[in-house]
Amino acid sequence: MNKFFSNRRLVIVIVCLIVSFGLMSVSVAIRNKRSTPPLVQQFGNDVVGLVNRVVAWPVSGLKGSVTGFSDLMNTYQENQRLKGQVQELAQTKVHDQAVNQENQKLKKELKLNHSLTDYSPVTANVIARTPSAWQNQVIIDKGEAAGVKKNMPVLSGSGIVGRVSEVNRTNSKVELLSNSSESANRFAVTITTKSGKTVNGILSGYNHDKNLIEMGNVTSKTKIQKGDKVATSGLGGVMPAGLFVGKVASTGTDNYGLASKISIKPATNISELSVVTVAVRQAQTTN
Amino acid sequence: MLRVTKLRYGFPIGLLLFFYLDGILGAAFPRQLFSAPYAMSSYLVVLWLVLSVFFEDELQIPLTVWAAIAGGFFDVYYTGIWGIFVFVFPIVVALTRACYKAFPINFLSGLLVYFIDITVICTLSYFGNLVVHMTSASFADMLVDSLAPTLAYNLAAYVILYFPVQWLFNRLRN
Repeated sequence: MNKFFSNRRLVIVIVCLIVSFGLMSVSVAIRNKRSTPPLVQQFGNDVVGLVNRVVAWPVSGLKGSVTGFSDLMNTYQENQRLKGQVQELAQTKVHDQAVNQENQKLKKELKLNHSLTDYSPVTANVIARTPSAWQNQVIIDKGEAAGVKKNMPVLSGSGIVGRVSEVNRTNSKVELLSNSSESANRFAVTITTKSGKTVNGILSGYNHDKNLIEMGNVTSKTKIQKGDKVATSGLGGVMPAGLFVGKVASTGTDNYGLASKISIKPATNISELSVVTVAVRQAQTTN
Repeated sequence: MLRVTKLRYGFPIGLLLFFYLDGILGAAFPRQLFSAPYAMSSYLVVLWLVLSVFFEDELQIPLTVWAAIAGGFFDVYYTGIWGIFVFVFPIVVALTRACYKAFPINFLSGLLVYFIDITVICTLSYFGNLVVHMTSASFADMLVDSLAPTLAYNLAAYVILYFPVQWLFNRLRN
C-alpha cells in the first residue's frame, strides 16, 4: 500500500480528483444556465452524432425485421380492435376540423395571431439512449438547425414524454419524465375535473416503483377524481398549452398532510421511444 | 509494435463500434434494458478496452489514453456532463493491468476481473452523479436497481464476446 501511494502518485490522484469535480460542477452549471453547450462540445456532439446514425442503421434494420414479424402475428386481433376505434375517431376528426375552423375565424376577428395552444411539430428519430441508470435521457436527430430549443416539450404517441435538455446543431438530448434529477420534471400542468373546473400545478417527481408521475403542492379544494385528464397549462417558458400528460391515477395528501399529492398515469410508455415529436410553441416565449 | 499489425486500424474501429452500440442498443431495446425500476447500463466499450488488455500481449497499445478519449466522448455525447467517465475508464484500465500482472488471466479469472471493473464503474459513476445532484437514489437502491442488472448484462456480454474478440485479435495480429 505504501508503495502504491508514493508521493508522485498521490499528487496525481488528488489533481485528477480536483479536475474531475471541477469539470463536473462547471458542466452542470453550464447545463442549467445556458441554452446551448459550449461550441467545442456542440461540435464534438455533432460529429459523434453523425457517425451514430450510420452505425444505428443496420441495428434498427435488424430490429425492424424482427418486430415486423411479431407484428404480423398480432395483426388480426389488432385489426378487429382498431376497426371499432376508427369509426369513433372519424367522427371526432370531423368535429375537430369544424371547431378548428371556427376557432381560426374567431381569432382573426379578435386579431389574435398565435395563442398558447398553437405549436408546430418537429418529428425526430431517437438515435441513442444514455447508458446510465441516473439519467433517463435519449438523443434525437434534430437540433438547433430544425428549430429545437432548450426546455421544449417532447411528445410521443398521445402524450408528453420529456423535455429538451441540451441542444446541438444537428442533435439534441431529451430528458424523460422518469428522470429523478432535481432540475427535471418542472412542467406546469392543469387538471380538468369532470365538472369542468380546473386545478393548476407543477409536476414534482416520478415514482419508479409504480411508474406514475407525481404532482405535489396542490392546495386547491376542488375535488379531483381518478380518471381526470391532465394537460400542460402553457404558463411560462416555451411550453404550449393543451399537451396531454396523462390521467389521474390516485389522490392523497403529502407527507405533512397539508397539501394534496396526485399520482398521474402517463399517457404513453415513457421508456419505449423510437420516433418523437418536439412541440415548438408559436406564441411568444417568456424566457 | 502496434504500428506494424492490422490492429492499428482494428483496435480504434472496434472501440468506436462498441462505443456506439452502447447507446444504440439502449434505444433499440428499451423494454429489455430499461424496464423501470431496473436499469441495465451497457458498457461494451469498457469490455473492448478490458479485452484489449488481456489480448494485447507484447503489442503495448496506449490503452490508458484510448480509455480517456473514449470516456471523454462518453461524457460529452451520452451524459452531457464532463468529468466522470473520462477518469473512470482509465482507472478501470489501470486496475485491469494491475490484476493482469498479479495472476494469470484466462476466461474465468478474466470474468472476475471484469466483475470488479463493472462494479467500480457503477459505484464511481453513482457517486459522481450524487455529488452533482443528478440523482437522489439511495445506495441500497443503486445496488438493487442499477448495479445488479448492469452486472448481469455486462457479464453476459463478456461470456458471449470473449472468444470472438480473442479470435479477432489473433487474426488482426498476424
